[in-house]
Amino acid sequence: MLHIDNISIDLGEFRLDEASLDAQPGEYLVILGPTGAGKTILLETIGGLYTPHSGSISIDGRQITHLPPKERNICMVYQDFMLFPHLTVEENIIFGLRSRKILADDAKKKALEMARLLAIDHLLHRYPDTLSGGEQQRTAIARALVMEPSLLLLDEPLSALDAQTREGLVKELKRVQKITKVTVLHVTHNFEEVFALADRVAVMNKGSIIQVGPPDEVFRKPNSEFIANFTGTENIFRGICSIESGMSTIRIGTIAIASRTCMEGGEVYATIRPEDILISRTPVTSSARNSLAGTITRITNSGMFVKLTVDAGMPIVSVLTRQGFEEMDLAVGDNVYLTFKAAAVHVF
Amino acid sequence: MEQYTNRAPEAGEDQLLRRSWFYYATIAASVILTVFLVLVLSLIILRPSSDALLASLTNSEMQFAVLLSLATASVSTLLCILIGIPASYALARYSFPGNKIINAGLDLPLALPPLVAGLGLLLLFGTTSLGNWLADVGLVFVFTPLGIIIAQFFVNFPYMIRIMRSTFSMINPRYEYVAKTLGCSDAQAVWRVTLPMSRTGILSASTITWAKGIGEFGAVLLLAGAIKWKTETLPIALFLNMSTGRLDMAVSAALLLILISVCALYVFERYGGSARF
Repeated sequence: MLHIDNISIDLGEFRLDEASLDAQPGEYLVILGPTGAGKTILLETIGGLYTPHSGSISIDGRQITHLPPKERNICMVYQDFMLFPHLTVEENIIFGLRSRKILADDAKKKALEMARLLAIDHLLHRYPDTLSGGEQQRTAIARALVMEPSLLLLDEPLSALDAQTREGLVKELKRVQKITKVTVLHVTHNFEEVFALADRVAVMNKGSIIQVGPPDEVFRKPNSEFIANFTGTENIFRGICSIESGMSTIRIGTIAIASRTCMEGGEVYATIRPEDILISRTPVTSSARNSLAGTITRITNSGMFVKLTVDAGMPIVSVLTRQGFEEMDLAVGDNVYLTFKAAAVHVF
Repeated sequence: MEQYTNRAPEAGEDQLLRRSWFYYATIAASVILTVFLVLVLSLIILRPSSDALLASLTNSEMQFAVLLSLATASVSTLLCILIGIPASYALARYSFPGNKIINAGLDLPLALPPLVAGLGLLLLFGTTSLGNWLADVGLVFVFTPLGIIIAQFFVNFPYMIRIMRSTFSMINPRYEYVAKTLGCSDAQAVWRVTLPMSRTGILSASTITWAKGIGEFGAVLLLAGAIKWKTETLPIALFLNMSTGRLDMAVSAALLLILISVCALYVFERYGGSARF
């Protein structure tokens, strides 16, 4: 459906550097990345605001790289809504239909249908400045969807909303996307939105897309130190990989940990997500191949969870639920065991 | 981080401020200025008797001056709108070679004495081949009402540019981008989104430009001359009648100019929104 091939553009402060990406019809693709990674420029280049210096963009095989925005049938929704303040909700929604010379009655009918789908049909005669943030964003989404775009671009659409409204709108976005089957590219910083909405996630950094895959894969099996850090993988180690007694082993200083995959003789990064590490006061007998003894050096309260840093020859972070932490009655200086499976060790 | 605002103190809030001599000195300065202004204007306003005022205002020469001023200021304002708005848009939105120089250059007539502007226009239309060619095709600007329009336009378009440039700068260009993804061309996006969003700025800029046009004297005098019944706008009528000792007529013209200024200021402050120049 959408095929982006090595597009580059330099706008001074922001740039795209040979960014490539594909999206399938009806897919909900979330683009994740730090501030300044080039996420918004990528969307605006796809939408036709900027022409890339090199590379190409096509939709359903049609080259759109040099087409003006009006000929692309791609709609955009921004974080700050960009509703036209001089028009009512209804006039905002039918704005694009007027450009397509659709008869006024038909346009109004379509606007009403879309307003009903987004539960804003009672607001049609209101002006944007009288709406709540959530209502404004629903209106902006309705204004885009009523055009039946081949691609919907959402630039941090939920960032300006409070937590409760955001949660409601996440569900609404998923529901509406399933009904309309529109292909969506959604830029965000928020991991919750990734897991709630994305069929796949693309991670961007410094103008390039560096990993694309299902959210679980990207978060559990990052392909670079940057993504491991960015996705909150606390335990990132650098070691030497070897096969010892027929087992993949990674030596990190004096510690050896078993992994499933290995690149023999090479220097590798190994990551272990904190939630994959079992912490106990006594050694645990299980099929898990890795068991390390250590001492708790730090306890950090993160609301529902408690993060423990254990010195096991190298600092390893594990997490416990608050209830689990209270039941184990752990404190800094306690000796504990860390147990994790070889499969929990991701090597790249 | 410390917050800086230009918020004026709420009523009563400044009661808590410690009052030094500086407090009283600055307030005294503003009072002196107001008294000075009121004194000057009241001498004009209270000068004529109601009978003399009525006679002057119903005088056909004064009516001619009023109509000529209204007509020329309206046409020159229209020219400022038609040329100034696109120019302001380009200066606010696009980054192009020479942008900064053009930006500064277009403000120059604000600082230029109107007499100098008038002299330049007189030389342009009276001594160059361009002026001769325009005269040949029927556009005579020297000592004609057309000259009044051009003089008003030249001196006052910077007001239009300054207000509209700041108005466009305050509107996020993403509104236009959204409009383009919704099927608009560049020009349609401006017409359907940016211009309606700029309406307070356009109203303010037009009001100020029009009011300044009506009051324009120096450049008009040099290019169009001070010819009774031909190029006699309100300021020219004031000047001609003062020169010939007809004080009531001169004061009547001044009163009308004051009235127009007050109305323009009211429209600017009341409907101008955040527009500033």
